[in-house]
Amino acid sequence: MSWIAIGALALVGIAIPLAMMAVSALLRPAVPEQSKSTTYESGEIPTGSGHVQLNIQYYMVALLFVVFDIETVMIFPWAVMYRSALEAGTPLSQALLPMLIFVGILVVGLVWAWRIGAVEWTTSLRAATQKTERQNT
Amino acid sequence: MAVPLQGEVMLPERIADLLGLGGIAGEVVGGLIGALIVGNVMLAMTGVAGPWAKRKITAAFTDRIAVDRIGPFGLLIIVADSVRLLSKELIIPEGADRPSYDLAPIILPASALLGFSVIPMGSGIQLADPEAGLALVFAFASIASVALVTGGYASNNKYSLMGGLRAVAQNIAYEIPLIVTAMSVVVFAGSLQMSTIVAEQTSTLISIAGVSIPAWYAFVNPFAFVLFLVANMAEIGRNPFDIPEAPTEIVAGYQTEYSSVYFVLFYLGEFLHVFLGGAIMATIFLGGPAGPVLPGFVWFVIKIWAFFLFTQWCRSAIPRVRIDQLIEIGWKGMLVLSFANLVLTAIIVGVIA
Repeated sequence: MSWIAIGALALVGIAIPLAMMAVSALLRPAVPEQSKSTTYESGEIPTGSGHVQLNIQYYMVALLFVVFDIETVMIFPWAVMYRSALEAGTPLSQALLPMLIFVGILVVGLVWAWRIGAVEWTTSLRAATQKTERQNT
Repeated sequence: MAVPLQGEVMLPERIADLLGLGGIAGEVVGGLIGALIVGNVMLAMTGVAGPWAKRKITAAFTDRIAVDRIGPFGLLIIVADSVRLLSKELIIPEGADRPSYDLAPIILPASALLGFSVIPMGSGIQLADPEAGLALVFAFASIASVALVTGGYASNNKYSLMGGLRAVAQNIAYEIPLIVTAMSVVVFAGSLQMSTIVAEQTSTLISIAGVSIPAWYAFVNPFAFVLFLVANMAEIGRNPFDIPEAPTEIVAGYQTEYSSVYFVLFYLGEFLHVFLGGAIMATIFLGGPAGPVLPGFVWFVIKIWAFFLFTQWCRSAIPRVRIDQLIEIGWKGMLVLSFANLVLTAIIVGVIA
C-alpha cells in the first residue's frame, strides 16, 4: 500500500526538524536578557501588542477562492476522463459542452466580482486623501 | 491502489525485497527506510543550495566571489554554517503564542518533504504512486501557508503578522491558476498518477534529422508551461513574488522573530518548497526523470537544480511587485489566462483527437 510509505515520509518529515531542534538544544547557549526578547519594531520600543487589527484586504477574495477551489475539484474528474471519453466515441457536445457551460457560469461570477471591485486592493480613505494632497501641492 | 505500471517497482517494495521481509513488516520497514533515503537526499540538496549555491549564484550575478575560504570552492562552508546556525541562541519574543510558535517551523519543512513522497525521481526512486498523485502533491504543498500564518501570528510582531497574512493572500490568488494549468496537462495525460504522466511524455513528438524530440508537455503546450512557471514562483514565494517576506517593506515577514534552529527550519522549508516546485514542474512538464545517456536520477537532479537556478536568476534580475499588483496579476491576469488555456486545450484536443 502506498499510504504506508507516505505516512513513513510524514514521520521522517517531522522527525528531521525535531532532531535538528534537539541537536541545537545541546549546542546553543542561553543568556536570557530583558531587552533581547522584545519584538522587533525597527529598533523602537514596540507600541502595544503585535496582534493589531488591520484590513486584511482579501475577505471577498477568500470567498471567491472557496468557490473556485471547489470548481477545480469538480474539473479534476472531467480532465481525467476527457480524452478516453473522446476515444470511446463520445461526441464533443457531450464531452466538452457541459464543462464549457460550467466554466462559463463561473467566469460570469468572476466578471461580476471584478466589476464590483472585489479583486481590487482597497485603499483607505486616509491614504487616498493624502495621495490627492501630495498631487495637488 | 498503487498498481505498478510497466513493471515499475516502488522504492519501499524494492527495499523490502532486498531485506527479505514480506507482508506488513516489509511494507513498514521498507517505507521507513525509503522515506529516510528520500528525506536525506532532499536535505542534502537543500544543504548544498542554502549555505553554498545560493551565495555562489548571487555572487556570480553581482560580480563577486562569495564563499571560498574553507574547502574546495568553499564547499566546506556548508558544515561550518550548519554548526554555526544550530549553535545560535534561541530568543523567544515576549508574548509569543508558545505552542504555535514552535509548531510552525516543524510544519513548513514537513509539508514540503511530504510532497516528495509521490514524485518519481528516476532510477526507481519513488516512494508511492497513488492514483491521485498530482492532486496529492498540490495538497501537501499548500500546507505551507498554514505554517506561515501560524508563525506570523504567534510571533507577536506586527511585521510577522502582515507577512503571514500576505502569504495567505498570495497563496489563494495563485493556487487556482496553478491547479487549473496543471489540469490542462491532465487533459493530455488522462490520469493524475505521476508514473502515468511521466510515461505519457516518453512518446516522440517530432523527429528532426534522426533526433527525436520527446512529447514533454512543455513542448506540447508551451503556453501552459510559462503560466505554470509564473504561478509556481508565486506559490513558493520567490522573486518577483516574494511579497510575504519582502525585506525592504516588512523586515523579514513571518520569520522576523525566529532565530537559531527555528530560523534554519524556516529556511530549510523554503528551500524544500523551491525544490518541490521544481520537482512538480519537472514531472508534469519536463518528462520527469527522462533524458538521454545519463541515469534518470541525475536528470531529475539537473532539472530541479535548473529550476532553482532560475529562481535565483529572477532574484537577481527582477524587481519585486507590489502587494496590490500581485493580487491584480493573480486574479485579473493569471486566473483568466489559465482558464483560457484550459478551455483552448480542451477544444484543441477535442477537435484533433
